[in-house]
Amino acid sequence: MTFEDTDFRQETLDLDNPFDLKLVKDFLAGLGFEFDPVEVECTMIVYNLKGELVGTGSHLGRILKYVAVAPKFRDTTAFALIVTYMTEKLLKIYKHTFVFTRPENSVRFRGLGFTEIATAEPLYALLEFGFESIFTFQDYLKALLVPVKTENVAAMVVNCNPFTNGHKFLIEKAASENEILYLFVVEEDRSAFPFAVRWELIRKGIAHLKNVVMIKGGMYIVSGAIFPSYFLKHEAINDVMQKQAELDVKTFANYVVPVLGIKKRYVGTENYCKVTGAYNLAMKAILPSFGVEVIEVTRKASGSGDDNLPDYISASKVRKAIKHDQLESIVDFLPDSTREFLFSDASLEIRQKIKAGTGRH
Amino acid sequence: MKPKIAAQSGTFESSDVIFLIEPLPDNSGRKLEISSTVMQQFGANFNRIVLEMLDQYEMTDIHLIAKDKGALEPTIKARLETAIKRSLDEQEGTLK
Repeated sequence: MTFEDTDFRQETLDLDNPFDLKLVKDFLAGLGFEFDPVEVECTMIVYNLKGELVGTGSHLGRILKYVAVAPKFRDTTAFALIVTYMTEKLLKIYKHTFVFTRPENSVRFRGLGFTEIATAEPLYALLEFGFESIFTFQDYLKALLVPVKTENVAAMVVNCNPFTNGHKFLIEKAASENEILYLFVVEEDRSAFPFAVRWELIRKGIAHLKNVVMIKGGMYIVSGAIFPSYFLKHEAINDVMQKQAELDVKTFANYVVPVLGIKKRYVGTENYCKVTGAYNLAMKAILPSFGVEVIEVTRKASGSGDDNLPDYISASKVRKAIKHDQLESIVDFLPDSTREFLFSDASLEIRQKIKAGTGRH
Repeated sequence: MKPKIAAQSGTFESSDVIFLIEPLPDNSGRKLEISSTVMQQFGANFNRIVLEMLDQYEMTDIHLIAKDKGALEPTIKARLETAIKRSLDEQEGTLK
């Protein structure tokens, strides 16, 4: 039996200091974690009066990471102490915090008062805690709910980075085939085009469609919290990406589908992006069991490309054209709203950022 | 009185309670989310303590979340008083 937590001291580490970094790295390595300082913003440790390391916790944005306690101290309050410290810090900045952990550890966080949102065995469980929760998001959805007479209720999730004729075609098609279409726009601001701009271009571009309801994706629809892989550059589909996609789709199925009564989800076929490909795969595997039909629509082509294959419209091609100063070559891809924006001075800053950047988004 | 800032007091430990307080827009009253591991036996008592304390400080436009792990009455009162005072920006937390 160890002594009570009056013996424990807590301290924030300076990760630029190689000694501090080595301390936490070695400690975590012994517990089977590979600590990467790039993945965290701030790290704290707990030690006792004998100088023994008791446990540690880190965070990146609103996500708790690398929360671990040495086996010897697991019957103490160290774990609760670390989580209390982290939430106190984070809830001053954010409305709520997330935890990604292995499903077998989910019960420990639930024991502290965290709520489990979804699990993707055997890699991840996602939990949250704070002033807001997924129920706050559901309240937001309820406020946008449109009463319907038929079962033709569809949903679509778009990032639109930027909005192209391909997106427009897909939205128009889904809107024409359904009584109502809920259009979720990814809110995470990690794309070249900021959320406010993407939202505005879509709004103007689909103003003629009366049965489309635009919804902010918030923290739960393809967000950096649930689906960080989406915003990273990956060459191949890997387990991590697939499981994160699964978390996102399960959250959608469990919390969004019942509120809005969604029966169909539209997606464009994905020829270019591996992550979106993995996402489509997860949707096809999970959504049918929740009574949601996944409808894959072949992308709209604009003439044919150099290699005699159809020249599919894609937002990444638009960004590539901006990068290489060849906007004229893809003018056919762009709806009026995006074309006007890209050829105006308002987009100057964004264009320069794309030219300078190397990221996938 | 209205909370000025978001505040937290207490811990997630056993025999303790954690309180979170955040300000709400004007005239939205009180929004309480209370959960306890001993809700069945002591829930009514817990609610009474919280409401009395909020009345005492005339708190309104407040969103309060409580996660109780079987704290005793003096603990609940002390934690809530601290949370209220912190949210009024009258008392600072010890953790920096």
